[in-house]
This record gives sequence, structure tokens and C-alpha cells, in this order.
Amino acid sequence: MTAIVEAAGLTKRFGKVTAVDDVSFSLEQGGIHGLLGRNGAGKTTLMQLLTGQDFATRGDVKIFGERPVENARAVGRTCFIKESQVYPDDFQGKHVLRVAPRFFPHWDEDLAQHLVEAFGAPMDRKIKKLSRGQRSAIGAIVGIASRAELTFLDEPYAGLDAVARRRFYDLLLEDYAEHPRTIVLSTHLIDEAAALLQRVLVIDNGRLLINADAEELRGSATTLVGKASDVDAFSAHREVLDRSTIGGIASVTVAGLSAEDKRAAASAGLEATPVSLQELIVRRTGGTLTEEVSA
Amino acid sequence: MTAVAHERHVAPAPTRIWNVVRLHVANPMPTLVLPWLITFIVFAGNLAIWLMVVQAAGGMENLEAGAFQYSGGISWIIVFMMVVAVQTMNLTFPFALGFAVTRRDFYLGSALYFVLLSLLYATGLTVLAAIESATDGWGMDAAFFAPYGMYDEPLAVLWFAYFGLMLLFFFLGAAVATVWVRWKAYGLYAFFIGLAAVLIGAAWVITTTESWGDVGQFFVTTSPAALVAWTLPLTVVSAVVGFLFLRRATPKSA
Repeated sequence: MTAIVEAAGLTKRFGKVTAVDDVSFSLEQGGIHGLLGRNGAGKTTLMQLLTGQDFATRGDVKIFGERPVENARAVGRTCFIKESQVYPDDFQGKHVLRVAPRFFPHWDEDLAQHLVEAFGAPMDRKIKKLSRGQRSAIGAIVGIASRAELTFLDEPYAGLDAVARRRFYDLLLEDYAEHPRTIVLSTHLIDEAAALLQRVLVIDNGRLLINADAEELRGSATTLVGKASDVDAFSAHREVLDRSTIGGIASVTVAGLSAEDKRAAASAGLEATPVSLQELIVRRTGGTLTEEVSA
Repeated sequence: MTAVAHERHVAPAPTRIWNVVRLHVANPMPTLVLPWLITFIVFAGNLAIWLMVVQAAGGMENLEAGAFQYSGGISWIIVFMMVVAVQTMNLTFPFALGFAVTRRDFYLGSALYFVLLSLLYATGLTVLAAIESATDGWGMDAAFFAPYGMYDEPLAVLWFAYFGLMLLFFFLGAAVATVWVRWKAYGLYAFFIGLAAVLIGAAWVITTTESWGDVGQFFVTTSPAALVAWTLPLTVVSAVVGFLFLRRATPKSA
């Protein structure tokens, strides 16, 4: 296994704002990975740094083992579709599809046409006159049909409705299964995308908060519900992430329960449910926010 | 597949630069169709007015010689090239970067496209000027494709003037647009304050050395071809400045 993305101490400042703050991680080749975080957390800036579109203030970034900035050999193997993708004036969808094969060596025309139909994206109207969802659809088509070895999709379905988003996940997964590659997907619709993701990177206020296997992360916290006294007895010596009580019923979220722990909880009369990825991340990112306010 | 096998997919630099040219042609409307269309509409308008005047005057013999040789209607196309250059840096640049193009390839490909467009339009307009001259100014001693001041110049000079001025406006537009792409509004403030300072400074020097007469003399005595040749250094400087600015520019979404 080789690392396809490597960042070490990566930092980007805009004046006084630190958009990306000392971020270090690496991604193995292959897989769909999630870059999650709140709006303005630094997701887009991080992707811009990874694709050589922006210049790091400090630190080092490599894709395919090389620095991406002005490096056609490395950047030429990527595709980066942004939420607010800019198109040349008066460009129509068909123009985008006309030029795409020249820039993406693995471009699949049949797939592109299939995606156009699946998304119902208008190809012969000016892109600047399309709705946000239709523009997103064109971006998604390019992002999938380019089959770039390293694809970055930044909020690729902004403005798409739930049905179209579902279709996007299905089509992405379907094509990924046949043509495995490395895809980094940024989104704040965490639960929707959760099933797709192999690795989860959570960024908050520019800092990399979580870098974990999605499966491990899902099992990393459990919510226990039961009689307040039972709950307290069980969670007394454990790491409690969250606690709430209504009447005599308490609910706690605890970290790292083993299978044995879960059996013990069940025999203590507690109902255990795994915490969803979204809930976990909301708690973790919400947590840093309050820490900063109190600091 | 191994990483080595994939590397062969990355096209060599000339191909990548040519791909950028093709990107500009993907939608031929704004740069290859619209300018000709507008030119012919403006020309048709001029033609109609000339005919109207000739008719009202009761024939060509009642008009001053060369009455229709003061048209500047074609000069819009030079300014239009500047607009094309601005759009290229402002909109096509961020698009191209998402399509895995480097700044260097994008700039070189766009510059090549500017040169090709200048060649195309300079040649096309000169051919039309040749027809104009062969038909005795559309039978009315009129001049449209050889604008005011160029009517008596050889076609080669006319071609050179179109070519040189289009290049100048392309690269001036590109250089100013890269200031915007890189530093946004503050960059443009600084640029225009600097420009104003340079112009006022020049006027100051010319006034204090009492050389306005010489300046006027220069423009009167220098041939149109030489005047256009004088713009070439500025064109080259603009082209280099635009490249240097864009090399460190970041595409910002709005």
C-alpha cells in the first residue's frame, strides 16, 4: 500500500485567519474517504492545498509522492470539483463534456452520457442560468466520469434534492466498485454519506480533529438508556461524552465499549445503541467550539 | 495498475498547452462567431447610413471627396479582445485548474490562443479592407475596414496595426485581470493609483521640460507602423507580468 496523499504540518493563513492549522495525515491509495466538518471549517482550503490550487503558508503536502503545486505530472492525475465550480462565460453543459476528455485521461464518454440521463442535467443551456442543483449535477457528472486516480468532490451535491443525492451516492458507488480509485468527498450531510466512507477526516476550525477508520469510529461510542441509578452505576468509571436525564430515565454516551461491556450493560437492564457518525462528529466539533468560547 | 503505468497518461507539455487552446474553442460563440457577427452588423449599419446620405445628397458627386473615410466603427473589436482576455483570466482560469491544468500550461495555452485570434482577425479584417479598396470603398469611396488614418496605408501596414493592437489589448487585459484574480479589489486600487501616478508624473516631466510640442510632433511624424511597433515592448512586458502574477494566483470562488 502506498500513500497517495500526505500532509505534514500543513498550515494556511489568510491574514489573521488560520484556515488550515498544522494538519498532518496520509491517505492510502484506494477508497472513498470523507472530509467532514462544519461550513468554514477549512475543508475547501485543505482540498485546494492538496490539488496545488493554493499555496501552503507552512508545512508540506504531497500527492502521488510529489508536491502538487504547478506539477502537471501529479495534478494531471486528479480531478477537483468544487461546490461553487466556476465555468467560462456562456459555457453550456455540452461544452464541459466536450473538453473533459482532453484533460482526464481516464474519461469515460458512455458513463458521462449515462450520468447526464440519470441526473437529468440540461446540457444545452447556459450554465450560469441553471439552478444550483443542476450546476451541481454537471459537477458530479464530471467528477464521476473523469475516473481520475485521485478525485476531490467538494460538497458535490449542494442544491440537489434527497432523491438526486441518493442517485449520486448509488452511481458513485456503482462506478467505484468497477473502477476502484481514491475519492475524497467533503460534505456536512454526514449520515447520508456515512455508509460510503472508509476513512473519516473531521476538520474543525482548521484543525484535524478526527482521522479514523469509519467502521472503528462508528463503534467508538454507545448511547445507554435506562433507569438513572443503573446508568450512573454503569458509567461511573467510564469516559462519558454526553449525559441527559428526563425524570428517572438517564441517557449517557460513553466511549469505547467492548463486546463484554455491552453484555454487562444489557444484563444491567440498559438499552445500548451505537452513536451515528453524524451525532459523534456534532458532539466532538460542538465540544471544541464551547472550549474556545470559555478559553 | 502501478503508479509507473499511470504516469505515461500525462500528456507532454505541447499537448497540454494545445488542450488549453481547445478549451477556449470548445464554445466558439464568444471568440469566433460573435465578433464577426457584430462587425457585420455595425458594417451594415454604416453601409445603410452612407447609402442614405448619398441618396439625400442626390449622388456621390455632391459629396466632399472622402466624406466616408472617417469611420472608427471597427475599433470596438480591439477593445473586445481585452474583454475576452479579462474573462479568460477571471472565469476560464479557475475552471481549468479544476480540470487538472497547471497555471503555467493555462497561461501559455491562453497566450497562444490570443496570438492565434490576433492572426485570424488581423488577416480577416485586412482581407475585407482589400475588398473594400478593390470596390472603390463599396462604390461610395467609403472606408470601414481601414479606419480613419489608415485609409492610405498599404494593406501590410493595416494588417500589422490590427495584429499589434489586438496583441496589446489581449495582454494588457490579461495582465490587469491577473491583478484582480490575485489581489481582488485592493490590487486594482493599487494598480489604478499607480497608473495615475505614472501618467501624472509623465505629464509633469513633459510640462516642466516644455516638451509637449515634441510629443505632439512624435505622433504626427511617426508612421502608423512605427507607432504600433512602439507598443510591442509594452505588449511583451504585459505578457510577462501577467504570467508572473498568475503563477502565484489562487482561484477563489466568487
